[in-house]
Amino acid sequence: MAQTIMTVDDSPSMRMLLRAALGKMGYTIIEAEDGIDAMEKLSNNRPDLLITDINMPRMDGFGLIENVRQDDSWRNMPILVLTTETSDEKKQRARIAGATGWIVKPFSPDKLAAAIRRVLH
Amino acid sequence: MAETTMKININNFKRIDVMQGEKQVSSEDDVVFSTVLGSCIAACLYDPIAKIGGMNHFLLAEPSGSDHDPNSLKRYGVYAMEVLINAMLAKGAHRNRLRARLYGGATMRSGFGDIGIKNAEFARRFLQDEHILLNAEDIGGTTARRVDFCPALGLARCRHVENQRPVERLEVVPDKAGDVTFF
Repeated sequence: MAQTIMTVDDSPSMRMLLRAALGKMGYTIIEAEDGIDAMEKLSNNRPDLLITDINMPRMDGFGLIENVRQDDSWRNMPILVLTTETSDEKKQRARIAGATGWIVKPFSPDKLAAAIRRVLH
Repeated sequence: MAETTMKININNFKRIDVMQGEKQVSSEDDVVFSTVLGSCIAACLYDPIAKIGGMNHFLLAEPSGSDHDPNSLKRYGVYAMEVLINAMLAKGAHRNRLRARLYGGATMRSGFGDIGIKNAEFARRFLQDEHILLNAEDIGGTTARRVDFCPALGLARCRHVENQRPVERLEVVPDKAGDVTFF
């Protein structure tokens, strides 16, 4: 069965770009437009991986990662941050919140695929 | 759509050039962003409530799929638009209040693959997908343009310039694009 990835980004264009790239790799995709939307969709979906942006309205990527990690049932789900941000301070914040990895945009589909393969088993 | 005439004197304003691949965001009253465009596009975004404006300047519409170099990917509109929007949100602008002006997208030489037309199509579609209102545009044609944008006022002036050649090339600066860090 195809593995499922939840993508979280407030930009419809970025969600489309991710849908195209991940769809080609054969993954099933669930989309959310911010942290709140993602938390709601996680209550009735079981994705194998979460890919999230950082800068989003209502609940940003940091808030989302913290909330997800508070729930024991999501302890083992890998979380990749995909963002234009590059600062070490923000990376550390994501690491402490419980992120699995950090990818700086713009991404090439090949690099994204390699990062996903590394965290999905 | 007709270009907007700027009714203020910007001669005493602090001028900031926005080069290809760059973006600038400000809410300062006496600042003007300036750029020269050929087939490139400059998007000027404005939040009229927060009075914050920003301009970018990008070379290409969308990656072909065979382009995997992160620095090269930075030339594309989808990246340039996200970086500009994020910088504006970080300063206090709201995504749903943004208004846009689009400039550039000229066909500078024949046989150049209609880059200008593709750029203009991309920019319009992007704004539609993101539900950002397009207030004004001056795109297409065969001449270069000089655009001046006052970020705090949301006002722009676009002049067609016959004798000015825009610099359209990629400055390759090694940086962190495409970096992957595992924790």
